[in-house]
Amino acid sequence: MEVTTTSTPAAVSEALPGAARTTDAVKVYGRGDAMVRALDGVTVTFAKGQFSAIMGPSGSGKSTLLHCLAGLDRLTSGTVHIGEVELGSLGDRQLTLLRRLRVGFIFQSFNLVPTLSAYDNIVLPLTIAGRKPDAAALAEIVRITGLGDRLKHRPNQLSGGQQQRVAAARALASQPEIIFADEPTGNLDSRASGDLLDFLRHAVSELGQTIIMVTHDPLAAAHADRVVFLADGRVVSEMHGPTADSVLDVMRHLGE
Amino acid sequence: MLGVSLRSLLSHKLRLALTTIAVILGVSFVAGTFILTDTINATFTSIFNAANAGVAVTVHGRPIAGDTGGIGGGQNHPVPTSLLSTVRSVPGVKNAVGNIFRPGATLIGNNGKPIGGNGPPTFGANWIADSAISPYHLRSGTPPQQANDVVVDAGTASKNGLVVGQTLAIVFAGGVEQHFNISGIAGYGSSDNLAGATIALFTEPTAEQVLDGQGKYDSILVSADNGVTDVVLRERLAKALPSYAVAETGQAAAAAAEQSTQATISTFIGTPLLVFAFISLFVGSFLIINTFNILVAQRTRELALLRALGATRAQVMVSVLVEAALTGVVASILGFFVGILIARALLSLFGTAASTAVTLLPRTFIIAVLVGTIVTVIAATLPARRATRIAPVAALAEALPETQELPRRRIVIGVVIFVLGCAALAAGLFVSSGSRLQLIGAGFLGVFLGVALLAPVLVVPVATALGWPVRHLRGAAGLLAGENARRNPRRTALTAAALMIGLALVTCVAVLTDSVRVSTNNAIEGAFRADFIVFEQGPDFNTQAADALRQDPALTDVTEVRGTSVLIGGSSQSIAGIDPANLASVLTLNMISGSASTITSTNTAIVDSTLATAAGVREGDTVTFNFPQGATVRIRVGGIYTANALVSGYMVSLATMLPNVPAARDSLVLANAAAGTSTTQAERALHQDVKAFPLLMAMSRAEYRSFVGASLDSFLNLIYTLLAFAIIIAVLGIANTLILSVLERTREIGVLRALGMTRSQTRSMVRWESVIISLLGAVLGLSVGLGLGVAVSASLHDLGITQVAVPGLNLILYAIVAGVFGVVAAIFPTIRASRIDILRAITTE
Repeated sequence: MEVTTTSTPAAVSEALPGAARTTDAVKVYGRGDAMVRALDGVTVTFAKGQFSAIMGPSGSGKSTLLHCLAGLDRLTSGTVHIGEVELGSLGDRQLTLLRRLRVGFIFQSFNLVPTLSAYDNIVLPLTIAGRKPDAAALAEIVRITGLGDRLKHRPNQLSGGQQQRVAAARALASQPEIIFADEPTGNLDSRASGDLLDFLRHAVSELGQTIIMVTHDPLAAAHADRVVFLADGRVVSEMHGPTADSVLDVMRHLGE
Repeated sequence: MLGVSLRSLLSHKLRLALTTIAVILGVSFVAGTFILTDTINATFTSIFNAANAGVAVTVHGRPIAGDTGGIGGGQNHPVPTSLLSTVRSVPGVKNAVGNIFRPGATLIGNNGKPIGGNGPPTFGANWIADSAISPYHLRSGTPPQQANDVVVDAGTASKNGLVVGQTLAIVFAGGVEQHFNISGIAGYGSSDNLAGATIALFTEPTAEQVLDGQGKYDSILVSADNGVTDVVLRERLAKALPSYAVAETGQAAAAAAEQSTQATISTFIGTPLLVFAFISLFVGSFLIINTFNILVAQRTRELALLRALGATRAQVMVSVLVEAALTGVVASILGFFVGILIARALLSLFGTAASTAVTLLPRTFIIAVLVGTIVTVIAATLPARRATRIAPVAALAEALPETQELPRRRIVIGVVIFVLGCAALAAGLFVSSGSRLQLIGAGFLGVFLGVALLAPVLVVPVATALGWPVRHLRGAAGLLAGENARRNPRRTALTAAALMIGLALVTCVAVLTDSVRVSTNNAIEGAFRADFIVFEQGPDFNTQAADALRQDPALTDVTEVRGTSVLIGGSSQSIAGIDPANLASVLTLNMISGSASTITSTNTAIVDSTLATAAGVREGDTVTFNFPQGATVRIRVGGIYTANALVSGYMVSLATMLPNVPAARDSLVLANAAAGTSTTQAERALHQDVKAFPLLMAMSRAEYRSFVGASLDSFLNLIYTLLAFAIIIAVLGIANTLILSVLERTREIGVLRALGMTRSQTRSMVRWESVIISLLGAVLGLSVGLGLGVAVSASLHDLGITQVAVPGLNLILYAIVAGVFGVVAAIFPTIRASRIDILRAITTE
């Protein structure tokens, strides 16, 4: 276990090749008295092939950071890169294509399309892109998610855990550079959470996938390679090889 | 609970906007119709009152039996001019003047074209010198004094640039041009003219001569001495008059004219417009049902929460209905005002009423508000019932899964209504003679409701079939469009059903007109043996034309078909007179029994089979003709023929007809090219001859066919226009459903955008869903319309529709247009969908 609390986390992060990074990221909502600085100068790099978790108390800016990294929201100032592409310079269409081709998503509330079968949901990003799924890769994803006998079912015929595994398979199906997961276990019971996190861990370790996950659950964060802690819109701490207990300690320290 | 309704109403402003528009459109059509007919009626009433203002009593002949009245009242027999002295001798009569007033004096404008065309009637009359009695008031110039003087009405003069002192050509009853000098311009009563009709005023001798009124007045207008009331004078006159004449007070005459006019306007304008107005409202009610259904579905949690907090079912029901009633009232009031605009637009289109003020009766407002509100509330009842069934636990649960299964009960009800509709339609079309129209109307309604109830069953297969090509053309957007169209079959079906109604009616009319076209073409081919036909659109015309054509060596077999009406057993029948010698060379008659040549004998007729069957007349029977001028003639039936495109009813020889009709008039003239003259030469000669008769049209057989076709086309165009409201409402309905669906699927669309769907793909998805819904409406509408059109056409076999034809090209066109409507309906929803804020959509719970 290694706990590092540094005033310049960038120094540590920049040592590794980045899948995504932000430099002096600032995000301001509202004006005047109602102004909130959700991100207040975040500089952070997420390494390729790593499972990273972002944690922090409510209002710390962790979801905003994820949304800005994923091209769903724009910074007020500063830069975001996915690979070598700076997102701030992209128009809506280019951002859309970037999300389609290079990014995968897993949401807290699954967000499957209710009219489509599990299979159609899994290949949806490829269908949107007009691409044919790679049969072998798809078969492998289906195998490890254990959804083989559920592919023809619609989302409302699946349990929450199954739905989230479909969502995870969907995120993997287009073989993106990064998968962003926003509280993926938030709506799952502990057993389904465990299954999903094992699956994500497996995708990183065995398939070399990069995953960035926002969570407030120390048990979930313990599955990550590295945890970045945010408070009041700033990176306040980070941890490599976390355990549930060590994460909980830092969180208590941060006042949650 | 009222507060809840109000707040809910205000928070769903956008969602209710389109419902409101649908109600407004439907109500405005109804209100506009009433305002239009009221305004026209008021115009006529003021004209009749002004015209009769100085007339104490009117004396005229007895009504012509079988005359059904019309604008200005029914036709009476004329009275001899000698009656004038009898009238003048009655004590209390201050003055009495003879009045000649007849249609059939067409003015030729300075551009050489007839004024009025096929529009308002063209009257000729004698100038009445006594200004106390006369409805004509000189505005400039002098009264007609010379035989070739004419005074024209001020409205016609100003509209056509006619001035005092100029020469004016006038054509009487389709004859040759006669030239007059305009001596003056006059108003009618206090108006410029008689609601758009042209009036030409001559000296009495000229009027008698040109209007075929020798020795006869149409009426005698009487003024009373001071102290003698109209009623007293009428009684005195009634005692003094011979039995053929009747006296009525000026007021009564105006009232009778008013009543007859109102009945005519109601029959020809009011009722047809109202039918289409109610079709629009009916289609609008689909939109309203759908809107409230979707709103209730979206408010499931809110309504369930109210239930959980102790609201009773009745309270929930009332809250939805109050919302509907408020919407209905507001929209109806707006609809009333839009109706005023519609009435104004139509009035300027008719070009008749010069009055700037439209007539607004309280009755119109009350009907508008009642109709709009009741339709809205009834349409909201089904959704309201659904709202009451929401279980309180739904407040806590996630959104309910959308039901795919159609309850068996609904299918049974749908089938029953559909079958009842078909039965009513069949009874109306093929059996009943009494309440035909009511049965047919009920039949259409039943068929539409039945199909609308059953349509959800068809949504999945039809949407799947229509979605297949879209999926392959448009990838993910196409796939999702097809799935979205199928995801809520009832919603899709109801939306499509609204479009179905308009399209079904258009298709039905298109099939009917095409059947008429094909049947008429065949009939023209079958019956029309002559090379040429000469006729006037509208009234029968002067015999001068036939006489002139007979002089032309390029033509032969010039044969006039004369028309008049007679009373047979109390009902009016039009009969045709023809020269039997030429019959076979100009007409082909398909004889069922007897022979056409029997009419060579005097007082013998042949009759068409439909009329013969209806009247129970057989070859060899004798029927009695009561000619309008009084003669009663016993006619032997010499044969039965099949009615055709040119002649139907009783046909007699000219020799039989002429002694019994005073002024001979031709309905049409047929002719062949003379031997040794080519058809082209003969046609040129014919056109040259007919030039002298500005109102007549001369055509070859082929030209006549396309002329008949063109009038069918303009009828079809009129129907398109009248159904446009219903179709616009249906397109609004599609837009409404899509907007509500887009709002409902905000989160889902946000996810799709997050997963990399571009804005244009998002628009494409919504657009294709719209097209699929529209095409579903087209499939339903074309099928139902085809069935209805074939049934209606088949039922009119006896009226000469011998062949049922399907205008394939039109149907394909309608389907394409429906698809385009889908694209149009999607414009706003696609914008809405593509502007959805991704982050807000996916993060908002």
